[in-house]
Amino acid sequence: MAVTEAPPLEPEVAPDVRGPTAPLPLATFALGIASLVVIAIGVLWSQINYAFSDRVMTQYCLDQQISPEDNGGIGVCNIIEALQDPVTTDALYLGISLGAAALILGASTYRRMDSKRKRDHAITGAVLGSQGILLGVGILWFRSVSPGLFAKHFLNFADLQGYGGAFLRGIRNTLVLAFAGELGGIVIGLVLGVLTLSERRVVRAPARLYINFFRGTPLIWQLVTGYFLLLFGFGLRMSAFTVAIIVFALNTGAYAAEVFRAGIQSIERGQFEAARSLGMSYVQSMRYAIVPQAVRRVIPPLMNEFVILIKDTALVVALGLVESQYDIFTTAREGQAATFNATFFTVAAIAYLVVTLPLIRLVNAVEKRLRSGLVGIAGAGS
Amino acid sequence: MNVAAPDPGTRSTEADGSLVRLEGIHKWFGNLHVLKGVDLTMRQRDVVVVIGPSGGGKSTLLRCVSLLEVPTLGHVWFEGKDITDVRTDLNEVRTHIGIVFQAYNLFPHMTALRNVTVALEKVLKVSSDEAHQRAMDQLARVGMGNKASSYPGQLSGGQQQRVAIARALAMKPRVMLFDEVTSALDPELVGEVLEVMIRLAGDGMTMMVVTHEMGFAREVGTRMLFLDDGRIVEQGEPREMFYKPQSDRLRQFFAKVL
Repeated sequence: MAVTEAPPLEPEVAPDVRGPTAPLPLATFALGIASLVVIAIGVLWSQINYAFSDRVMTQYCLDQQISPEDNGGIGVCNIIEALQDPVTTDALYLGISLGAAALILGASTYRRMDSKRKRDHAITGAVLGSQGILLGVGILWFRSVSPGLFAKHFLNFADLQGYGGAFLRGIRNTLVLAFAGELGGIVIGLVLGVLTLSERRVVRAPARLYINFFRGTPLIWQLVTGYFLLLFGFGLRMSAFTVAIIVFALNTGAYAAEVFRAGIQSIERGQFEAARSLGMSYVQSMRYAIVPQAVRRVIPPLMNEFVILIKDTALVVALGLVESQYDIFTTAREGQAATFNATFFTVAAIAYLVVTLPLIRLVNAVEKRLRSGLVGIAGAGS
Repeated sequence: MNVAAPDPGTRSTEADGSLVRLEGIHKWFGNLHVLKGVDLTMRQRDVVVVIGPSGGGKSTLLRCVSLLEVPTLGHVWFEGKDITDVRTDLNEVRTHIGIVFQAYNLFPHMTALRNVTVALEKVLKVSSDEAHQRAMDQLARVGMGNKASSYPGQLSGGQQQRVAIARALAMKPRVMLFDEVTSALDPELVGEVLEVMIRLAGDGMTMMVVTHEMGFAREVGTRMLFLDDGRIVEQGEPREMFYKPQSDRLRQFFAKVL
């Protein structure tokens, strides 16, 4: 009877060779963390405390040109009053002191540490400490200049009441613009990318002309000129939104063409020769052998192009959109124009980040997977 | 099973029985003169072995046979047709000329099986059932029947090269070209590939083999060419060339590689 040994359940891991730590580097590390934590807690505690209090307009706020008649003036007053709160002040000085202690301790001792972990703790503590100092000094400086003006224009959320739906619509319209533009651009780009690889100059030349034109002129010029060209030059009846999608597709097509060209060129020449030697035509070789491999490699750069396009859609602010078609930036611009409150731009930044950050993370994850998973990529063997 | 072995008599060949004929082949890459007037005739069942120093033009010569490289001057005749004529349907001609490359060049996004069937279906328009059958026969022939569903990245170099041979054989070519097919392999994997080639030669396949494997050249080749500096310096029966090289150049070459 053959008894086979059961495979070990826990996966084998590389041994930890960084060695032990010691009280001194550990203390440095703790001081660095404490520096940042103390500043954060102190500032937040004051802000929350003031936000939920029933304070009224103070002389300090009036001095900072915040008027009781301002919409949201009390809220802005609370923000800058909280910054002057003794708790915040104490936290800032304490945090800076802790940071300085960590920096001095870490910087003066890390060379003498005899294990990797001790050294890591000392260096990390010093770096965190210096970050605490920068943060603390930065806030001290900020509150000493004119925090009222800043808070009034960029942190006054009172005027934004009732704009939640408008911003959601803006996100949707921005995504529609970017997605439709990217989709059209990929189709145009794939065709142009293949054309630029032709051995015949007469085929390459028009494709290059197109690509160079759209890469060489400003997108805002293309949008505005495209708008006038289509509506007045050709007398077409279409909305500015549709014009924008067409121009984004044409523009993205030029960039996607370069991505596809590079992707196809990155496939080893032998792949093409193998396909041709089996009797495949140029088009068949591209279709069955080259493009399926290239597509996988161009996914990350195309996603990057998509993120760029999401941000570039803000340029439609130059076209006269109707309200239901406002993108994120136009929504903010119109809100700011109506209230003279730039906090709309703060919210617009948040709205863009909500859309782009997950995408950026996704690109990184896909890139990582494609780089590590070169072996046996199943599923595309059509 | 002897699927790809040619059947002399049913193939259209020239009156002199030649399958492939090269005539005055010159090739320039830019200002680099790689082939300087090569003439060569291959008949049915010939196993022509091409040896010579690196940069001598061996691979270029082999690639000229299926016009992967277009000769700058000269003509290539295949089964009595001048395939250097611009009116030739090269895609059709290439279905009759199998090539195996040094770097295998399997399609990495396809299984071994799909690598073999894709051209059968898309080029020869064979039904998918028949393509599957032909592919499995050829994979079994090279000892890769049990790896049909593996991707190239999951196979060793020797296994990949055997799949590449099966891929070429499945097209039922009239001639097979081998371009230094063992040069990229670890030494212990060379044998399995050579074994397949020896069997193929035994089955009567017409072959052109560019190689550095002198043992294979001597034992399997029916004719040997020594190519140096773009010219055929010496040719003849392999054993004779090994034992009685006529030119100094070939003696020097043997002194280095043997």
